[in-house]
Amino acid sequence: MEHFIETIGRNMFAIFGVMALGGAAFMVGSRSAVHSVLGFLFAMLCVAGCFLSLEAEFLGMAQILVYAGGIVVLFLFVVMLVEMSKKKEKAVFQLQSRHAIAVALLGAAAFLGVFRKVLFGAASPDALVLRPELAAGLDVAKQNAQAVSRGLYADYLLPFEILSVILLVALVGAVVLAKTERV
Amino acid sequence: MVSLNAVLLISFLLFTIGIIGVLIRRNALVILMCVELMLNAANLNFIAFARHSGSVSGQAFALLVMGFAAAEVAVGLALVVALYRKRDTVQVDDINLLKG
Repeated sequence: MEHFIETIGRNMFAIFGVMALGGAAFMVGSRSAVHSVLGFLFAMLCVAGCFLSLEAEFLGMAQILVYAGGIVVLFLFVVMLVEMSKKKEKAVFQLQSRHAIAVALLGAAAFLGVFRKVLFGAASPDALVLRPELAAGLDVAKQNAQAVSRGLYADYLLPFEILSVILLVALVGAVVLAKTERV
Repeated sequence: MVSLNAVLLISFLLFTIGIIGVLIRRNALVILMCVELMLNAANLNFIAFARHSGSVSGQAFALLVMGFAAAEVAVGLALVVALYRKRDTVQVDDINLLKG
């Protein structure tokens, strides 16, 4: 039993990753938009689990807050607003589905061919382990959130501020786009 | 420990599912969700490489990407709602106003 739990703990990333793939496939394949949103929610939660197992605790929690708490709810609202249309969906998939899947798989195969060595080659011996000389620089930050905040506010302050302006523009744009034409 | 290969493979597969979804679905909402999925796959790579190189920059950028994704969803959903008001549909192949 102990051994079993230990094995699960070691393979946490793979478990969450495969579950995320399942949720994503359900999202693409399901007929009703609400089911798609639920698949999306599941995939996002599993990706958050992946973040946690990669020791990015702050980002994992931010992922849960932003996606499960914000974006999925927004999607659900719009689905409720929009999907009650009188005419039923004729078909779920595009006419060119078969060609599209063929092209996408072809692109994926080409990518795999080029990056075969990276993806399936021998794992580098020091994979995902902090190199000591780099770890020394991170010593000031004892916790992940501290480290991320140093990265954000010290090294990448300008992109962060630009992001805030972009969010403001998106807010105003969304209001202008979605308001009724009463003027 | 998690090997970099596994992370890259999972993120690659997520991205492929996202691209296939964008290409084959008719519902504009599902297409938006697939775009979000692709952004998440990119985020996964950012975090994996941040972990690999021992620097925190990747995580900071993943947070920025998350913010951009939120902005994109806000504008995209507003577009969908405006479209639904005008044309009474969210199926992308019913929207052919620009087709000559």
